[in-house]
Amino acid sequence: MSRTLKLAAAMGVIASLPITPSVAAAENLKVVASFSIIADFAKNVGGDRVDIITLVGPNGDAHVYEPKPADAATVGSADVVLVNGLQFEGFLQRLVEASATKAPVVELTKGGEVLRNTEEEGHHDQDNAAKGEAGHAAEAEEGHEEGHHYHGESDPHAWQSVHNAELYVKNIADTFCAADAAGCDTYRANAESYGQQLEALEAEIKAAVAEIPEDKRTIITSHDAYGYFEHEYGIKFLAPEGVSTESEASAADVAALIKQIRQDKASAIFVENVTNPRLIEQIASETGLKIGGELYSDALSDENGPAATYLEMMRHNITAIKGAILGS
Amino acid sequence: MRTNLTSATAIALFLSLSTSAAHAEEVTAWRLFISDHADPKVTVIDAVDGGKLDTFKIKGPASLHRSESGRTVFAVQGSAGVVTGIASGISFEDHGEHGDIDVEAPKLAGLEITGKKPSHFVEHDGDFAAFFDGEGVARIISEKVVLEGKSDFREVKTDAPQHGVAVAYGSHVLLSEPNREKPDELPVGIRVADEAGAPIGGIHACPDLHGEASSGNILAFACATGLLVVSHGDGTPAIRHLPYADSLPDGKTTTLIGGRGLQYFLGNYGADKVVLIDPTLEGVAFRLISLPTRRVHFAVDPVRAKYAYIFTEDGQLHQLDVVKGEIANSLKLTDPYSMDGHWSEPRPRVAVAGDRIVVTDPLKGVLYLVDATSFEKTGDIAVEGKPFNIVSVGGSGQTHEGE
Repeated sequence: MSRTLKLAAAMGVIASLPITPSVAAAENLKVVASFSIIADFAKNVGGDRVDIITLVGPNGDAHVYEPKPADAATVGSADVVLVNGLQFEGFLQRLVEASATKAPVVELTKGGEVLRNTEEEGHHDQDNAAKGEAGHAAEAEEGHEEGHHYHGESDPHAWQSVHNAELYVKNIADTFCAADAAGCDTYRANAESYGQQLEALEAEIKAAVAEIPEDKRTIITSHDAYGYFEHEYGIKFLAPEGVSTESEASAADVAALIKQIRQDKASAIFVENVTNPRLIEQIASETGLKIGGELYSDALSDENGPAATYLEMMRHNITAIKGAILGS
Repeated sequence: MRTNLTSATAIALFLSLSTSAAHAEEVTAWRLFISDHADPKVTVIDAVDGGKLDTFKIKGPASLHRSESGRTVFAVQGSAGVVTGIASGISFEDHGEHGDIDVEAPKLAGLEITGKKPSHFVEHDGDFAAFFDGEGVARIISEKVVLEGKSDFREVKTDAPQHGVAVAYGSHVLLSEPNREKPDELPVGIRVADEAGAPIGGIHACPDLHGEASSGNILAFACATGLLVVSHGDGTPAIRHLPYADSLPDGKTTTLIGGRGLQYFLGNYGADKVVLIDPTLEGVAFRLISLPTRRVHFAVDPVRAKYAYIFTEDGQLHQLDVVKGEIANSLKLTDPYSMDGHWSEPRPRVAVAGDRIVVTDPLKGVLYLVDATSFEKTGDIAVEGKPFNIVSVGGSGQTHEGE
């Protein structure tokens, strides 16, 4: 993805309702984050001026999360609700409706370049970018009428590009400034400081990838969560499951993937922290690939794990990928 | 065109503004399936215009169950010893960014499963398990097979006749365990079996087991001591016991329904109380709500996830806010229906059809319609006989010219 990512357009954070300006200075901003990675971004931007509640916690799978009445109560009392958008949180619309929240619900991917979901193209390598498709169908959340539901057309895992993480952070700072003008300088300063750490992280990832021979840059994971990583850094990911873990891979999908693994000479295979490892273990067994460890895709680890923050997660992933490929 | 516009079904048509489907029409269709308390029949009403679509003769008075997909309605006729399948005529097809609706005439699907005293009927992921109390046998069939007009079910047996339940849970079956010492009493637990019925592991204790429901990815059984909570485990179902909170008064749940859109369970708890249950919360899983009088029936709202509805014997319909855990509104609909007398006497039942809540009044031969948003009575539909059990099927989708 080019550095011309539409950051300039990123001001357009989507909000279901206008942002209510300025909470009382003595009160922390009550922030609800839909999942752990967003919560980590919000913590870095908000510092001690915000109280954050995370709906889908460490190692949780937001694709299949079932919201509870208590979540609706939490959202209902929030000042700000931060979500990924791109229909990553399939539960979002019904949760927001049930909560009757007056808080802005802010999609942090708004303004970014979106990759198209290639789920319907048989196998699941991600090679296509719907360039310029900023007008994603984010508002067309999963249908809630009985009997059917709709899947999104876009790959929602935008945070897998560190460059996109900068967009998330900018959108969070804008949102916090709108909700708490008195803290805006703090939020901007925090965002800038964290942005520098993100830039350093991205340089590390690119340097690590550069050490991997180009003909060894194909690896296997459980579901198509790494399209943005692939697009940004040049590691090719194949997966038996699509961009959502909601639908299990069919036997035909797995057979096609195994055939492709052999054709493409995949170098390594990984389990993910949010998915059952059984299918990956089966594919590893049938292809002779050794499992290279656990990648963190859609959630951080708990605080004792190797990926308790976004920075740790991305470093862990690239270290595991490089180590498994070069050691294979 | 997918919709059979020549059918007797009245449908609401709206032009879709979708640019991706410029020639598509948005269609809304809802149907009510109502069994009679006295006569062996199921009446089908178009919930959009109130007209009668059809009446199906069956073998005995029935309790009704609709499938998750809405494509099938089952009439469980305990006294007649048969389960009858009815194709609702409404189906949906996912097309990615939109869904198509197909509306045809309802019809008997051709499925009849016979046996002694069919009772609990449970769906899990498109597989239906009908438990026949008089035999202690579960007969399991998939919706796909039912809609093909076949009756190719498989049987899984328990050790003895019982007022039991079975759930086809992927490649396993969950079976109630009969009370061997007191065969006339309720089951004492749940046993996991493989698809052939061979037991796996021991019995998960659930004394006085009665009541089962699913919500999201959790399945629950009600016991005298709490709930058995079932989730997907590593290879086999994971089952844990959630005891009733110490703060609850003496009592137990014997009827359980599962939330849609939000994950929760709603159970009776004594005659004039209900309990909201979130099995994922430690320590605060149960919230008790008192009712003004004894409960007659309850149902969850599958569209407005925040609400469930409870009908009480004073003739009132109550709107339960499951987020706040309190009654938000109450509406007088019928004359009193005392809960004294036999449990199976004709009393109102509740279903939700899109934006309408529908309540049967068996002694008046009427369905009352309540707007789900304003919670005001908006109309009624006369139905011959004693309209009793009710389920609704329907929704909205697109149809396309030229298909």
